[in-house]
Amino acid sequence: MHLAHLRLRDFRNYPRLDVDFAPGFHLLLGDNAQGKTNILEAIYLMATLRSFRGVGGAQMIRHGQKGYFAGGKVVGQGEHEIKMYWSARERNLSLDGRPVKKLTDYLGTLRTVVFCTEDLQLVKGTGRVRRRFLDLLLSQTRPGYLPLLQRYMQAVRSRNALLRQRAPDPALLDSFSEQLIKLGNELIQARRELIPKLSPLARLAYRRISHDAEELRMEYQPTVKSDFTVELAQSRAREQSYRLTLVGPHRDDLLLLLNEKSAAQFGSEGQKRTLAIALKMAQAEYLTGIHGSAPVLLIDDVMGELDAKRRAGFLPLLERTRETSGQVFMTATEANWPRELGRELQRWEVNAGTLQHARVSVSGGRP
Amino acid sequence: MSALPNAITDLISALNRLPGVGPRSAERIALHLVQTDSTAVKQLADAILLARERIQFCATCGALTEESPCPICADSRRDGSLLCLVERAVDILSIERSGTFRGKFHVLGGKISPLDGIEPEDLRIAELEKRLTQEPVKEVIIALSTDVEGDATSAYLAKRLARRGLKISRIAYGLPAGSGLEYADELTLSRALEGRREMNQ
Ligand SMILES: Nc1ncnc2c1ncn2[C@@H]1O[C@H](COP(=O)(O)OP(=O)(O)OP(=O)(O)O)[C@@H](O)[C@H]1O
Ligand SMILES: [Mg+2]
Ligand SMILES: [Zn+2]
Repeated sequence: MHLAHLRLRDFRNYPRLDVDFAPGFHLLLGDNAQGKTNILEAIYLMATLRSFRGVGGAQMIRHGQKGYFAGGKVVGQGEHEIKMYWSARERNLSLDGRPVKKLTDYLGTLRTVVFCTEDLQLVKGTGRVRRRFLDLLLSQTRPGYLPLLQRYMQAVRSRNALLRQRAPDPALLDSFSEQLIKLGNELIQARRELIPKLSPLARLAYRRISHDAEELRMEYQPTVKSDFTVELAQSRAREQSYRLTLVGPHRDDLLLLLNEKSAAQFGSEGQKRTLAIALKMAQAEYLTGIHGSAPVLLIDDVMGELDAKRRAGFLPLLERTRETSGQVFMTATEANWPRELGRELQRWEVNAGTLQHARVSVSGGRP
Repeated sequence: MSALPNAITDLISALNRLPGVGPRSAERIALHLVQTDSTAVKQLADAILLARERIQFCATCGALTEESPCPICADSRRDGSLLCLVERAVDILSIERSGTFRGKFHVLGGKISPLDGIEPEDLRIAELEKRLTQEPVKEVIIALSTDVEGDATSAYLAKRLARRGLKISRIAYGLPAGSGLEYADELTLSRALEGRREMNQ
């Protein structure tokens, strides 16, 4: 799949932008603070309706303007037209000219995987970051997972509200516990099935990038060890003092081990960075395997941080993208762009909220 | 800033408070009304007042009605052994429109929702329990929305209402998840009523 056209109005530092993109490898070159990452943010936004910078809609409106528009044409199995408008008063999202009523009808129209420096949090951050990683991947590959997750979180919130009452009605608490267990078990099952498929992909990616001897292993760490009903009942006393639901998939984690040792605790900075990229590569490979076409890859800055040897680990993924007529967008500054990767790349010059095709195909060396 | 006379902006904001009427429609309706022949407007105002004065809740089932008990409660040809439990009075209309249900109704008045502070005491559960002792009910069909609160409320009721000789069932089949009965079309509703699932045990 690829993004064939991108249209922005008052998005970040772009007053207006209309640009066509072919499939293939696009390099967005420019000095700092010109708007390279903003382009990736807009594409990711169209795919997921969120910013990968973790900010709300208001921040993406160009300073002094009322609202932003982001839209474009996606070509995959068929063509789709995305239009979204966001302002403090109005939010519109339409697909092929029709307003989107249910999120699940929309998500999947454009699939992306983003590589950015914040990915390091996958290794260093709390379990929440890793859960979100798993949930996003499952939402993108397993029909029904997203609504299931939303229902489950609603059950957790409802149950926590009950636990906060002075004397929760036991019969009522039981009724919400039943929901929690039923929905939670489905989530656990889905995550349990995913990890063994994802783990080998991540291991391979890690090996490819690092050329190192250490082995990566991923291990799903559910808070429920065997029986949710029993373990929830056992946690009742602790629940009463914390006034929170303490066991369940909303507390799960994903262990990342290098040579059987926790990467977060014992890994070097370089190992952590490599591991974060390997996870994202595994995500991209997994999506490609499921959907038969590669997601659009959005690679922000990470290349500059890697040496040429490690960067070469990206080649198979880029190759695959080419084979399946996918698309890659990569940002870099003139000083650090990975010349050895650029065989058939399209160069764009990003300058103060404008994008200009630099119609040169470069095969290495300074132009 | 607004160039509209106060009387019109007041009317717009009153209309805007109605369900399903956004600011634009409110403005359109208001501008239409102030330019319409005043007898027609008076008729509309009278109709609104009259409807509001005449309509009350049925003391038995909680339906919207002009006289209490309502025509459904008073109808001896309806099957008094079947009681359909719905969230809101308007849900009765949806089920009546599907034309397949011949029993009686009970409006719960909502669903249990800890996040919104709605507890069992806030619902018409005690009234329902009273009816179960007074009427020859053999089956309660729970027709609440199929979101988390609806499911938990149903589970809670299934336990609380359990008694000898009473069957408790739930319709959920075919109803789009997370939506109330309002959005269910007639076909899915009648299919749901046929495919109801027993909840005891
Ligand atoms: N809401 C906004 N309205 C207007 N301009 C904005 C807004 N948000 C960010 N900017 C501007 O966008 C620019 C940053 O864009 P972006 O993050 O894409 O830079 P970049 O080209 O990726 O730079 P770097 O190489 O440093 O990562 C800055 O000049 C910033 O002031
Ligand atoms: Mg940037
Ligand atoms: Zn009645």
